[in-house]
Amino acid sequence: MWIEIAHFSTLIALMLAGLMLIAPWIGLRWQRMVWIRVARQAAFMICALLTLASAGLIASFLKHDFSVQYVAEHASLKLPVFYLATAMWGGHEGSLLLWAWMLSLFVAIAAWKHWNTHPVSMPWVLSINGGLLLGFLLLVVFLSSPFERLLSPPPDGRDLNPLLQDPGMVFHPPFLYMGYVGFAIPYAFAMAALITSQGDSEWILATRRWTLFSWAMLTIGIVFGAYWAYYELGWGGYWAWDPVENASFMPWLTGLAFLHSVMVQERRRMFKTWNLFLIITTFALSLLGTFLVRSGVLSSVHAFATDPGRGVYILMFMSALLLFSFGLLTAKSDQLRETPKLESPWSKEFSFLINNLFLVAGACTVLLGTLYPLAVETLSTAKVSVGAPYYNKVFIPIMLGMLALMGLGPLIPWQRASLAKLRQEFLPAGIIGLIGMLVAPLVGVTHPSGAIATGLILFVGATHLKDLLRNIKTRMSRESLSAPGAFLRLVTRNKRRYGGMLVHLGTLVMVAGFVGSGLFQEERDLFLAKGDSMRIGSWSLTLESMDKTARRNWQADEAVIRAERPGEATLMLRPQKRVYSEHSQPTTEAAIHSSWREDLYVVLGDGVKDGVWAFRIYRTPLVSWIWIGSGIMVVGVFWAMLQGRRLQRRAD
Amino acid sequence: MNGLWKIVLLGAVMAILLLFALGLKNDPREIPSPLVNRPANDFTAPALEGDQPVQLSAHRGKWVLVNFWGSWCVSCVAEHPYLIELAKQTKNRSDFVMLGVDFRDNPDSARTFLARHGNPGYPHAQDPTQKIAIDWGVYGAPESYLVDPKGTIRMKHTGPLFPGWFEQRALPLMQGEVK
Repeated sequence: MWIEIAHFSTLIALMLAGLMLIAPWIGLRWQRMVWIRVARQAAFMICALLTLASAGLIASFLKHDFSVQYVAEHASLKLPVFYLATAMWGGHEGSLLLWAWMLSLFVAIAAWKHWNTHPVSMPWVLSINGGLLLGFLLLVVFLSSPFERLLSPPPDGRDLNPLLQDPGMVFHPPFLYMGYVGFAIPYAFAMAALITSQGDSEWILATRRWTLFSWAMLTIGIVFGAYWAYYELGWGGYWAWDPVENASFMPWLTGLAFLHSVMVQERRRMFKTWNLFLIITTFALSLLGTFLVRSGVLSSVHAFATDPGRGVYILMFMSALLLFSFGLLTAKSDQLRETPKLESPWSKEFSFLINNLFLVAGACTVLLGTLYPLAVETLSTAKVSVGAPYYNKVFIPIMLGMLALMGLGPLIPWQRASLAKLRQEFLPAGIIGLIGMLVAPLVGVTHPSGAIATGLILFVGATHLKDLLRNIKTRMSRESLSAPGAFLRLVTRNKRRYGGMLVHLGTLVMVAGFVGSGLFQEERDLFLAKGDSMRIGSWSLTLESMDKTARRNWQADEAVIRAERPGEATLMLRPQKRVYSEHSQPTTEAAIHSSWREDLYVVLGDGVKDGVWAFRIYRTPLVSWIWIGSGIMVVGVFWAMLQGRRLQRRAD
Repeated sequence: MNGLWKIVLLGAVMAILLLFALGLKNDPREIPSPLVNRPANDFTAPALEGDQPVQLSAHRGKWVLVNFWGSWCVSCVAEHPYLIELAKQTKNRSDFVMLGVDFRDNPDSARTFLARHGNPGYPHAQDPTQKIAIDWGVYGAPESYLVDPKGTIRMKHTGPLFPGWFEQRALPLMQGEVK
């Protein structure tokens, strides 16, 4: 019964989405305000209906209703209740419903929040989102319906893919989707600005929090994915430049470029066309992400649910959207006047411009690497894959360049700086960075990019610290506050700026993690019998025993390994090889001991002969810095979001 | 935006869309095998049903479809109805036989599988230790190989065979339309 309610609500939502698409047109064409209000009510209704639909699908899972095909394919009687509820997005059909539901939720919030403040844009924002919802719901209802019934229901379902039975994977898709979908709102505002030829700052103000939110969600989603890959796939890495990983990374890069370049538009009324281009591209890349995962044009580790038939539809949908958006952008861009010009290369504007070029070049690099295998395969018969070496070669320099620019950020002034002033501002930080770069090889960071990164981390840290200390001092003397008081006043009064600084700090922590884990990972493949020992780093590991263990829907071989190092408590590590009862493919459960210094990571391989097992052991320095850094970044973004939408007039 | 940028932007968008449109025809499951156009590894193994062992080379002179499967494999369930249909459809062909290789499995579960999902009627070799599967470079299930009358592997299909596979993929090869 639940699934019929879900199906029926989705059908009504589909029709309302059609209404939401056309009602604003009618309202504007014949000057009937009531039609625009109808579209707004439709937005609320769609949100309620899709909430009901999603609840219905989840209820079918919780009730083990295997007469629903989607439930039968992604759940089983033994599946723990947590995964049962989240299996909703374990496959293609349900995750599309999740997409649509999130979009409807965001649209409803936008229709509620911006109704009074953005009367000119709102009809178009509603109409464009109505179109998006219509497109997605058509897909959900007609091409990949999660509501199909089975004529003869199986007694038990096929269970959720074991790789997905993991908290990291449970949260990875919804966060990623929140990021993807969140960009739909800024996108719609940007299109509204183009349609109404009001490319000025109105849309930027409306969308600031949306873009920050979406970008933060995307960051969380990507990091969850990386973390999942790190401990669930058992290969000791966190990023593989897989096409689908790349698909989420590209909008992240362009979204980040947008977050920086809007500041230039707010302050200096520049980069108007460029900002529209960036946000349209970001949303287009988000859709591309959906398309890449779901169409099967690229083979990837994420090929959990691919179907070329739906690919055709998504492609048509995407073509319509891209041609409409970029077509409108090229047609209307000439009407956007950019009054001020760049005055000097020694200015904040210019550094933002270069930052944008780096980020967009990064996105293009990833796009090329992702599409190249597809192009080769399509235009010839060969199969190629572009691997990590290509990306590392191109991406590391871009990342270092961005780091260098990040160091300029806080100290370089708007409009124009005198060279003498710059020298005075940057000389100390530059010297600190240079010393760091020279000392790094002496402490073991011999790889050139590692040494440069170390120097840059110090340089960026120094400029940020200098800026912070100077502002604290100003506040202290101006408002006669104590140092902590001034610091508090500073970061609470200008949340946006200091949120941004916190994001930069998180980035530095992350980069340190990349350098440590990327350059200094130690890896050993070896066979151990009971009682055998080995050494890695300062650790000594001994295989104590091999056990069998089981839970509700899996059983596993489990190794018990004693890890010791001088002056520290002994650890017991228990890596497993699991076989889930409904699946043949064993999954690895790596045993990981994490500390701020390094991770010890043990993977159990196959049994070779009696009592001898294969192991793969990694020692990865600083890998936890990546997770911590990303956490700092997200906190920073949320801090920046707390600031209202008023333009800041003066530099603080 | 000046004219050049407009052309570049729209051109890039069109090119990417075109690439996807063409790319949709690619089958991500078609993975080239180094064993294609090499002599197939012969095998003789006990049959799942009956006492007569299953031997590949006994079928020299005919096209042989060798289908690797197991009762543990989810996609094999999806593929099974087509195998039954194909066996029925090609029963009277003198130039084509089908063989199954049940690998990494125990015979009882395999027989239960056939009893539950229907028995297509052709012989199945038992390969519990995956010896045959490893020799043939199988890395998933189901996987199917088409062996020509001289004993050379001519095609590999990863994943379930789909309705129409025989007409679209196998027949052209068998009739020599595809080199």
